[in-house]
Amino acid sequence: MLKMAATTGTQPKIALVVHPDVGVLSAFQSALTQKGFVTIVARDVPTTLLAMTQHYFDLAVVSSHLSEPGDGWPVAGVLHLAFPRCFIGVLAPETSVLILQAAINNGVREIYQQHTAPPEVVSAILAELLPSSPQDSHKVQ
Amino acid sequence: MMSRKPSILIVDDEVNVARTLQLVFEHEGYEAMTAHSCAEALPLLSNSHVFDIVMTDLNMEKEEIGLEVARKAMDLRPRPVVVICTGFASMFNSQAALKMHVDYLATKPADLKELTAALNRLVMLRAESSQEDA
Repeated sequence: MLKMAATTGTQPKIALVVHPDVGVLSAFQSALTQKGFVTIVARDVPTTLLAMTQHYFDLAVVSSHLSEPGDGWPVAGVLHLAFPRCFIGVLAPETSVLILQAAINNGVREIYQQHTAPPEVVSAILAELLPSSPQDSHKVQ
Repeated sequence: MMSRKPSILIVDDEVNVARTLQLVFEHEGYEAMTAHSCAEALPLLSNSHVFDIVMTDLNMEKEEIGLEVARKAMDLRPRPVVVICTGFASMFNSQAALKMHVDYLATKPADLKELTAALNRLVMLRAESSQEDA
């Protein structure tokens, strides 16, 4: 687990990104940091669990495929149980009824196509969060 | 811990399905009420009944009208656990359910053990978070 960035300000929001690809993690870290988030990244389930014991997350982006297809869904479900107010987005290879059902039943707020550029995903998330977000630094620019 | 029996409203136009689910949830310790259409369910949600769970079918007197029941239930305070139980899950209605932030989507024929376990868990979580908010 790497703590990759921190923002100035008294109460920075904390984001978690769980993805097996370091390049993707780095791109999300950059996009989220630009928007004022402290970003924690994890490549696997054990590291994710460790991160969950050490931080309170406001936002999480999880790949549906960590070490095998679909194993990201229960990770999202556990994040929802531990952090009920956390916005959880899942990166999935497609959108189907089964995937939508997995999203609903694991407390996921939104599904994003896995090949969408991280800055686009972050902008989409912030657009969803804006009505309830008290922090102007999170506005989509 | 809840001091009273948890309550559930089951909305399904198939009387046998609604009755079966009612028996299942009564066996689980719930106070279970049924309605067989959106038109029958909406007044129950508008009056003084407080439900811990509202579970609705989607296609009843009109296609997808269960989304109206779900929407109405989502607006209630305290908000019940909102569940859609349908034999006709589609991209349209599943997307709508996700956007609405319903708590659970079950497809028929539902695995009753899985369904009751999931709903028991959701009710307990809701009760805990209500206590924390109070």
